[in-house]
Amino acid sequence: MDQRSILDHQFVVAAYTVTWVIQLGYLAYLGLKWRAEKRRASIDSGNKR
Amino acid sequence: MKKFALGIYVAIVVVLMVWGFYQAIYVAPDDALQGYVFRIIYYHVPSASVAFLFFAVSLLGSIGFLTWRRNRPEWAQLSDAWAVAGAEVGVVFCTVVLITGPIWARRAWGIWWTWDARLTTTLVLWLIYVSYLLLRRFAAGPQVQTLAAVLGIFGALDVPIVYMSNRWWRTQHPAPVFGGDADSGMKDPQMLAAFGWGMVSWLAWGLLILFLRYRVEREHQKNAHLEAMEALEAKI
Amino acid sequence: MSRALWTHLIKDLRIEWRSKEAINSMLFFALLVVVLFSLAFDPRGSFSQNIAGGVLSVATMFASVSALNQAWAREIRHQVLDAQRMAPTPGSDLFLAKVIANFLFVSIVQVVLAPVFLVMYNLRVQGDGWLLAVVLPLGTWALVANGTFFAALSIRSRNRELLLPLILFPIFIPALLAMVQATTSILTGESDPSLWIKLLVGYDIIFTTVGLLLFEVVLHAE
Repeated sequence: MDQRSILDHQFVVAAYTVTWVIQLGYLAYLGLKWRAEKRRASIDSGNKR
Repeated sequence: MKKFALGIYVAIVVVLMVWGFYQAIYVAPDDALQGYVFRIIYYHVPSASVAFLFFAVSLLGSIGFLTWRRNRPEWAQLSDAWAVAGAEVGVVFCTVVLITGPIWARRAWGIWWTWDARLTTTLVLWLIYVSYLLLRRFAAGPQVQTLAAVLGIFGALDVPIVYMSNRWWRTQHPAPVFGGDADSGMKDPQMLAAFGWGMVSWLAWGLLILFLRYRVEREHQKNAHLEAMEALEAKI
Repeated sequence: MSRALWTHLIKDLRIEWRSKEAINSMLFFALLVVVLFSLAFDPRGSFSQNIAGGVLSVATMFASVSALNQAWAREIRHQVLDAQRMAPTPGSDLFLAKVIANFLFVSIVQVVLAPVFLVMYNLRVQGDGWLLAVVLPLGTWALVANGTFFAALSIRSRNRELLLPLILFPIFIPALLAMVQATTSILTGESDPSLWIKLLVGYDIIFTTVGLLLFEVVLHAE
């Protein structure tokens, strides 16, 4: 019975962890994209004469 | 002012997520049938709801873009930004659903997957919107937005057809029903509360991410526009 | 049938008749797929009746993609799309003509392949065999109509040949399911295919209509 509940717990941990890895990973990716766009914006406005 | 408001909202979202987690893990009781593993539902089902909602947002964005691109170009650009944001964040949440689902199913029902209407439709939805994102990435030329909007409409049309076709398929080949009894059987008030908090917190998180993605896309649009104008005005 | 539609159609058929490039490559590809699937999924015994429908449908899918990738190639090379944009005829005529032409090519391949199929899988039709002549064209139309449309969508992309199946296959899934289920139920005679046939008809009507309506948008977006 205890073995079963340990496995249950592990599966829940796995599910929650995967969720957060995906969500936070995407957030990090968005951060990088934002930085890239800002950099591009400063280059573009630097080019404007 | 805007940054401050956004900061407040982020704080609220964080609090909600922590509270939701607390509710899901420490307050809600074990399920009578499934035991501890049932708690995955507090992450899995809200993610599915948010994913479907955001795919609907993407569809509206696609329709808006096609409607307004001639007579109200500025609105069309906003629409397109929502279309992309909805699709991409929707795919993120849908990915969570497609991974947490099998993890839950394996423990709760003994199998990783089954081809019932809900799962198949979710999978096909994921495939359609990934293909939408691929089109946006690979299609070159200034008309990517129009082409993507058209694909978005085709994809959305397909969804109810997939659902129905799978329902009929299942009546011929009965298969285990996932989750049908899980949420319909939620009578315990603490479980309902945890589920409610799960929905609220994931919706709040999703809206935050959706908004951020929208802003990134708007920035991208502005840059593309600037570069196009420069190319037009190119001084020798 | 309007004159423009007829003109486009005859043009495509005539060019294909002279070169036969699409049909030949499709035929060979489909044959390869059938043989490969026979080796991968052993078709001996009564089991073959159950998988033949699936193999035929998938073979049709892969074969069609090889033709659909080239669907607009000639039009691009000779600026036909520009001419169409300036012409007073609706773009939907060009689209429908191309769908009909490709549909005929794929159907020819299926007809040629059918005896090969019967032989390799030792098929005995236990249901209403004539219904196959309804199911297969409906499924093929679904594939070709959407495929021609998406081929036009992906004309300017870098990985055009890769992008087309990536966009087409997810949306085609319900039609594939219907086609396979209907074919299997006809071959095994174990169930009633009419529900699936209705689904295919509905699918064809919906997507052909939407394709006709939106093709003008795509044409001008190019």
